[in-house]
Amino acid sequence: MTIDVKKYPAIAEYAKETAEPAWFTELRIQSLEKAAELELPSFEKIRYQRWPIQLQQPLEKRNVQKELLEENDFEQTENMVVQVGQATLELKLSQEMRDQGVIICDWQTALHEHGELVQKYFMQKAVKFDEDRLTAQHVAYMTSGLFIYIPKNVILKDVFTSYFIQDATTKADYVHHVMLIVGENSEFSYLENLKTIGTEATTANIIVEVIAQENSHVKFASVDRLGVKTTTYLNRRGYLEKDARINWSMGMMNDGKIVGDFDSDLVGDGAHSEVKIVAISTGKQVQGIDTRVTNRGKHTIGHILQHGVILSRSTLTFNGIGHIIKGAKGADAQQESRVLMLSNKAKGDANPILLIDDNDVTAGHAASIGRVNQEQLYYLMSRGLPKKMAERLVIIGFLGPVLATIPSKAIREQLKLTIERKLIDGQKDE
Amino acid sequence: MSKLEVKDLHVSIDGKKILKGVNLTMNTGEIHAIMGPNGTGKSTLSQAIMGHPAYKVTQGEVLLNGENILDLPVDERARAGLFLAMQYPAEIPGITNAEFIRGAVNARLPEDKSLSIRKFLKKLDKTMQVLDMTEEMADRYLNEGFSGGEKKRNEILQLMMIEPKFAILDEIDSGLDIDALKVVSRGVNQMRGPEFGSLIITHYQRLLNYIVPDVVHVMMGGKIVKQGGPELAKRLEDEGYTGLRDELGLDIKLVDEEA
Repeated sequence: MTIDVKKYPAIAEYAKETAEPAWFTELRIQSLEKAAELELPSFEKIRYQRWPIQLQQPLEKRNVQKELLEENDFEQTENMVVQVGQATLELKLSQEMRDQGVIICDWQTALHEHGELVQKYFMQKAVKFDEDRLTAQHVAYMTSGLFIYIPKNVILKDVFTSYFIQDATTKADYVHHVMLIVGENSEFSYLENLKTIGTEATTANIIVEVIAQENSHVKFASVDRLGVKTTTYLNRRGYLEKDARINWSMGMMNDGKIVGDFDSDLVGDGAHSEVKIVAISTGKQVQGIDTRVTNRGKHTIGHILQHGVILSRSTLTFNGIGHIIKGAKGADAQQESRVLMLSNKAKGDANPILLIDDNDVTAGHAASIGRVNQEQLYYLMSRGLPKKMAERLVIIGFLGPVLATIPSKAIREQLKLTIERKLIDGQKDE
Repeated sequence: MSKLEVKDLHVSIDGKKILKGVNLTMNTGEIHAIMGPNGTGKSTLSQAIMGHPAYKVTQGEVLLNGENILDLPVDERARAGLFLAMQYPAEIPGITNAEFIRGAVNARLPEDKSLSIRKFLKKLDKTMQVLDMTEEMADRYLNEGFSGGEKKRNEILQLMMIEPKFAILDEIDSGLDIDALKVVSRGVNQMRGPEFGSLIITHYQRLLNYIVPDVVHVMMGGKIVKQGGPELAKRLEDEGYTGLRDELGLDIKLVDEEA
């Protein structure tokens, strides 16, 4: 296939400026052409198609004023990265990690120095570039990201923390990619913070691919706090080989519209994924969260636990999809989705979807939409706690099973504070 | 000194009349006991005083130092000085016991007077020792997975930390073995003093051997039918409620009575 780069002057200009490899530029153009033919992905009961979620701005290299960052506090740790918009402002990797052959770098560096690895995995295994219009647009317009490669037999106890800050001080799309490859028998713990600065209406398209190779263990935790005017497509997907395990813990604390598409493909026998999600919707926000685990290998285990709270006039939809493919003998798919309503005007939905194509499996689901337990509230108030504070305590308790799985105590406390702040804001409208 | 008065209190639950005119007055410095057969409204009285939303007061009033508290929400009644040790305390996962108790202690103090973490933990530690509670109980989630006995101790722990003016203990003895009963009683007795009053609701006289009341009230059919000193409790233990009912000539069917 021949691709005429000159037909796409913005891409050609950007490619020249960043000196990206030709194969990558060609993949962009191929994706852009595909995007026009592909449909938007559809998720049960999540209607987002009319949102400004599609990427349209021409590819453009943007610089970032560093002073923006000072308003943001983040915790300095031994292993961390700070990116604002397209720029990487800080990247620290301990000598211990380097000595073991760990590669963590920004996207441009990855393309230049680890092109073969990127080419082998990027949008080929976990997510396919031509899967739907949003994934194709992602490849065409992607301008920032992080590449992480953990070689085989490397056990890392320390967490690597990333701070990805979307720059909404200008009307720029945020198209961000994280590629995480964890080699055979290795263990890695990763914590991701997504945040917005600025208040312009913007679109974000973020894809995270996790390739967990044979018998590897990955702990993936995230705290997402994208801004009220950021419309987001957030796709996190795991590709799990034989006996690999991923524990996902996600705190969806965004203030704007968002579609979260969180999948685990249990490809190898004995692969195991635990997905834990908490979400709070406030104001007029709409959050749609579609969590899927696909059991392909034998004796694979996929568990989903989603707890959410809705306030004001917001909407929160949890889809939990457990799909067992024919031949996945002994597979186990379990899920629980619960939504707590604090307002009559809020809308919540919890949809369990089990698709089972084999007999020799176990599967189960629980889903509920309810109100704050009145007996718990009465008990707390009978000790003198004001009603709203008591409500918040009950809610934090309700979100507890997920909070407890966040690997860093500091982030756990910070997440608790974020939850408190969101709840206090939300309660003002009640 | 503070005064708690219940005047002609009528309470319904789900439209069913339970209390039919209860009158009771107590001061701090006094321990009162309410005894009575099952299903007679003892727990209803405690929940109505505290303000459980399911219990509807249809007539009468409850005064704390002369002010009617029935219009106050539950948390304000608590901050005004009332405490209810519940028969079935709620379990709340995700909040540690210590965290919660500290919140409760500070809720009734003005912001500039709130207890520092160090002072709080010192007091908590000391109080838990009185109640023979292990340290890990402080870090466990509030009542979650507690045994019946642990829950009761935890109620008394909160009582001792919060130091209310009036504490209602609703069947705090139910399900306790004799050792646990002694421990719980030790806690309550330690609270005794001019600034503390307690209303102890119990079905059995046994508890009153350890916490000796100043006044005993007997409740039947939604009313207080007799008052006396500690000797009244002993008499009930010997003769049962049926004897007293017949002596008073009341036309009340006792739930536990064989048909």
